[in-house]
Amino acid sequence: MYMNTNTRILAPEFDFARPASLAEAFALLRKHGRGARLLAGGTDLLVQMKMERLSPELVVSLAGVKELDGITMGDGLTIGAGTTIQSVSRSPAVGARFAALREACNAFSTVSIMYMGTLGGNICNASPAADTAPALLVHDASVIIASAGSERRVPLAEFFAGPGKTVLKPGEIVTEVRLPAPAAGTGSAFRKISRVVADISQVCAAVSLVRDGARITGCRIALGSVAPTPVRVARAEAALTGAEGTADAFAKAAEIVAEDIRPISDVRASESYRRHVARTIVRDALQTAWQRAGEGATK
Amino acid sequence: MLSTELKSVGDASWRKDGLSKVTGSEKYAPDVSVDRMWHGRVLRSPHAHARIVSVDTSAAEALGAVCLTYDDVPKMRYNERIVSTPPCLYRDRTVVADKARHVGEAVLAVAAPTEELAERALRAVRVEYAPLQVITTMEQALKDGADPIHDTVLLDGKDVPIRNNVAVQRTIDVGDVEKGFAEAELVFERTFRTSRIYHAQMEPKTVTCRPEIDGGITVWCSTQSIHNTRILLGQIYGLPLNKVNVVKVALGGAFGSSIQMNSVTPICVGLALKAGRPVKIASTREEDMHDHVRYPSQITLKLGVRKDGTLVAGEMRAEIDIGAHNIQAYPFLGGLGGFWASLYKLPNMKYSGRAIYSNKTPSCAMQGFGAPQAHFAVECLMDEIAHALGLDPVDYKLRHYVGLGGTFWGQGPASKCIIRSDGVPELLRTGAEKIGWDKRPKPGSQTGRMRRGIGMARGFHTSGVGHAKASGAEMIDYSGAIVKLNEDGTLDLIQSLMDHGGGTNHAIAKIVADEIGVPGHMVGISPCDTRTSLYDVTTHATRGVYAGGAAALKAAKSVKAQILHWAARVLDVLPESLVIEPDDNLGQGVVYCPNLAERRMTVGDVARYLHINSLGTISASESMRQVNCPPAYVSYFVEVEVDTETGQIHTRRAALGSDCGTVVNPALASGQLVGGLSKGQGYALIEDNHWDPVTGELASKGFWVDGKTPSMAEAPLADDIMTHFAHTYEPTGPFGAKGVGEAAKNPAIAAFANAVHNALGIRFYEVPITPEKVLAALAGQEAQQRDTSKGRARTAPAPVAE
Amino acid sequence: MKKQIVRFTLNGTPREFAVAANDLLLNVIREQEKLTGTKYGCGIGECGACTVHVDGRPVLSCLKLAVEAEGCEVVTIEGLAQGRELDPLQRSFLDNNAVQCGYCTPGMIMIGRTLLDETPNPTEEEVRSHMRGQLCRCTGYASIAKAVMGAGEYETKAFRMPAE
Repeated sequence: MYMNTNTRILAPEFDFARPASLAEAFALLRKHGRGARLLAGGTDLLVQMKMERLSPELVVSLAGVKELDGITMGDGLTIGAGTTIQSVSRSPAVGARFAALREACNAFSTVSIMYMGTLGGNICNASPAADTAPALLVHDASVIIASAGSERRVPLAEFFAGPGKTVLKPGEIVTEVRLPAPAAGTGSAFRKISRVVADISQVCAAVSLVRDGARITGCRIALGSVAPTPVRVARAEAALTGAEGTADAFAKAAEIVAEDIRPISDVRASESYRRHVARTIVRDALQTAWQRAGEGATK
Repeated sequence: MLSTELKSVGDASWRKDGLSKVTGSEKYAPDVSVDRMWHGRVLRSPHAHARIVSVDTSAAEALGAVCLTYDDVPKMRYNERIVSTPPCLYRDRTVVADKARHVGEAVLAVAAPTEELAERALRAVRVEYAPLQVITTMEQALKDGADPIHDTVLLDGKDVPIRNNVAVQRTIDVGDVEKGFAEAELVFERTFRTSRIYHAQMEPKTVTCRPEIDGGITVWCSTQSIHNTRILLGQIYGLPLNKVNVVKVALGGAFGSSIQMNSVTPICVGLALKAGRPVKIASTREEDMHDHVRYPSQITLKLGVRKDGTLVAGEMRAEIDIGAHNIQAYPFLGGLGGFWASLYKLPNMKYSGRAIYSNKTPSCAMQGFGAPQAHFAVECLMDEIAHALGLDPVDYKLRHYVGLGGTFWGQGPASKCIIRSDGVPELLRTGAEKIGWDKRPKPGSQTGRMRRGIGMARGFHTSGVGHAKASGAEMIDYSGAIVKLNEDGTLDLIQSLMDHGGGTNHAIAKIVADEIGVPGHMVGISPCDTRTSLYDVTTHATRGVYAGGAAALKAAKSVKAQILHWAARVLDVLPESLVIEPDDNLGQGVVYCPNLAERRMTVGDVARYLHINSLGTISASESMRQVNCPPAYVSYFVEVEVDTETGQIHTRRAALGSDCGTVVNPALASGQLVGGLSKGQGYALIEDNHWDPVTGELASKGFWVDGKTPSMAEAPLADDIMTHFAHTYEPTGPFGAKGVGEAAKNPAIAAFANAVHNALGIRFYEVPITPEKVLAALAGQEAQQRDTSKGRARTAPAPVAE
Repeated sequence: MKKQIVRFTLNGTPREFAVAANDLLLNVIREQEKLTGTKYGCGIGECGACTVHVDGRPVLSCLKLAVEAEGCEVVTIEGLAQGRELDPLQRSFLDNNAVQCGYCTPGMIMIGRTLLDETPNPTEEEVRSHMRGQLCRCTGYASIAKAVMGAGEYETKAFRMPAE
């Protein structure tokens, strides 16, 4: 009965709460269990609710929870889950050090969605196409998951459980995303292919390389829209680690990526197209990251 | 009048509706609300083809909703697009459907005090369907024994059986095509396919209906014709037309999708009449996407030429998958054949067109009607022939196009005229120079990742559907206008003609101002409705300025004569000795006698004199049909850049030319061309729609995210889109003007396909040319080159059969 | 459904609205306040026709619960002009003929204004990137890009609308 979708209004009824602190939010989640949904930017949740894929009894806005907002620079970087994509993209702390993340934020579908959407929201939706996910994966991010009275840290790679699914348990909230300080000589990049610029990716990829002279001493490659979750490609990473950073090596690694990913055909692209362009964008991203790593080293 | 005497025509004043549009105060159909109004929602079939076995609305009614089912509506079958005359009008639908023929077909509707409650009531309704065979391809539809989508349709009062789901066929024969092909030295034949893209107008179809105390109704709706909407509503609900009032509101784009009365309009009227109170139905975007798409096409074109390129014979077979309803494929097929006949001189031609029903979203007119489809086939094949013969496509086309003195088929065989203005040589030479045509690469000569190519295509659209015959017309085509002089010398223009946004109403106001001789700001465009305005068929066929403007010009001439008559009496001179000219210092029109300079007064003085002396109001009410349909020529030169690794094609530059005769709104006419490029680019490269072959569901499910429309990010840089106008004067148009609108898009997809060929050396015969198709074609090209280099016989690429 | 009071500043005036939790900001603005300049285009954030400013930032009002606007400054296209004086961007849209059917225009102007607030003289690339989420089916965008790029010129040239 999808024909009767009505995106003009929000047909389902629900209650709304706007806690002023995490403690209040936890209390609400405990009380309502699975009937409660957290609302951050709303650009995904409200669409899901309009399409009636979700119908929560209680919507808990996190807008009043100030501890979720902001970026703090220590050794690495701590980004509050409620920080908007726009703020992340503009942050000097993200800047050149976390170039893949900055580029992923700027590649977000539209500017209004960048202003509304949050980093935490983007990863908690667990869309296989989430732009920030591959970037965060190559930056070795982990998420801080809190619940009333406890807190755990989960590497992002272990956070996604399937399309729209994460390891979050009822009552838990992602509060922070933490990025360790990149090793000296690190360069990263993000690339995306979509039907039109303001669209979800057909494929997106992020890479980071640690460069020591002519050699690659560390490598991460992650892709979106090619599997049920954002994925890293271990075989390609291994092929580059220890190798010389040459165009040939990058092309070979990109070839491995194209072989190892398991994309599907859907309305946005065919399986074979995804495989083909994954090769191109991974190779391009590797070249850019390599160059950036070199620039960092000379400074 | 000499063009040098025109003051408003050709100037760059702000469009009259500009201020209200930039401040958000303009009212469109979705912005209408009236007291005591309820909200309607339509229950749409989730099945592509199904009998409706039973309907149970009791639970919805228990919630307080009013429900409108098939049992409640008049059983009259109608065609929603009453531009065609009754013998040409195929009627196959009712207000809500007796059976579901596509996913999204309106089955019933509910109204309730709030949209939320209406939504809840909608879900409470129970409908039992008995699914029938789902037909999504023409092959399935034509097969013997295929389930009939319509058993019969109504044509001129007679029930006509539908066989093999063929809705309508047309043929056109000129000369002796067999003899022609016998004389041909070379024959080229290709099959071209275009897709069923969505109009993507910004305003989803919306309607509000208020029943009046006298049994009449007032209707505010998305439409390109308030009068045709009124006539149809009167017919369907058995109301005299003086009790049906359709109000003109601003239109948030339509591009052809509201030539017909949109499906929600009569439903809303039915609900309002049953509920006995105003009801508004605002389509959601997803409903809108299930309601209308462009006519697709599958065109096989065969052209026979002599070795010097002279065309001697042509044959075109067009098959159109029209979807679930026939929203006038008859004029579409005629238009398609006629546009083909008017592109290049062809002594012998044979055309056959067939429109076939399927269980998909109904297709209808979209900017260009059959012209983009015809242009795609003809302009690409002409390009291919030119290359095969070693001729420059621009020179080749200039040698053989139908121009000055030739016959133009404005809208099929029934509307033809002799061409009296022709800016084609100027358009093509200027465009070639601006884009750097001579510097374009040789097709297939590039080897790098990014390859650029320049392509060109030319063509036209008609200006209106005028013709000289006194009876037996296939289509209705006339406009009316009322012009009146107010008591201070300002004027009101009352015209039901809808402006899609191109500035048609503004252009016509300028024509009125210049004809009378007053500054442009003195002519106001009046809000109006069907009660207070004269009939106008609809804003389609690029007829707004040419036909609607001509009607207003006729009224303005009458008003001017009356002003001169009274001024002559006051000034004691002969009317023939007077002229009226705008005086910018006075902000008025001034009537004076050039021979007796002191004999002068303003138009305002004339108006005040009439008023004070109770001499009446100067006004004119005129209606007219143009007897011609001149071609609004257009030229397209585009440069694309193909990324051979991703298959993506970027539009880099364009030089777009228009021969619209006298240019009434220069910036807005240029804007039409630029808008045509954006839509043309989407049509050529990006946009498409798919229906599940098993369920008949629209793959996008009606969400715009998958019905991609190009944004600013896909457009070339603003300064890289160059526009130019031919310096022509159309003797039959108001102040020499022809149309622009639809012409602005017609050659676009052909130009893109030719540009991609220039970049890659590969021809594409199907749009959109998606990245996946590009990559597949490049892989094929590579395989072929490998085979060739290994000395294997080349698999014949030859388009040429001798 | 039970209503609650939400208070926010709308076009400079503090207001109170009785809304349900599922009422969208777009519909409250359009239906309760009858400010119909802000348009519904798609309802899922694909077209930008519903763009308003919330605390100076662009927000898709079709994806914003009205209750979320509590305590915020909301500005719609109707509130952009200062009194009878057009915003320079509105003026620039008129001079650049960036308006055709006009249905996308309010959203275009609202998002364009947020760019100009940060970058008074944007490059074309900045404009294209900032406005990539706004659909227009009429203009082909070139005139809109020029209007945003050229708006700086009107900062000092006021245009007063005729009195009502």
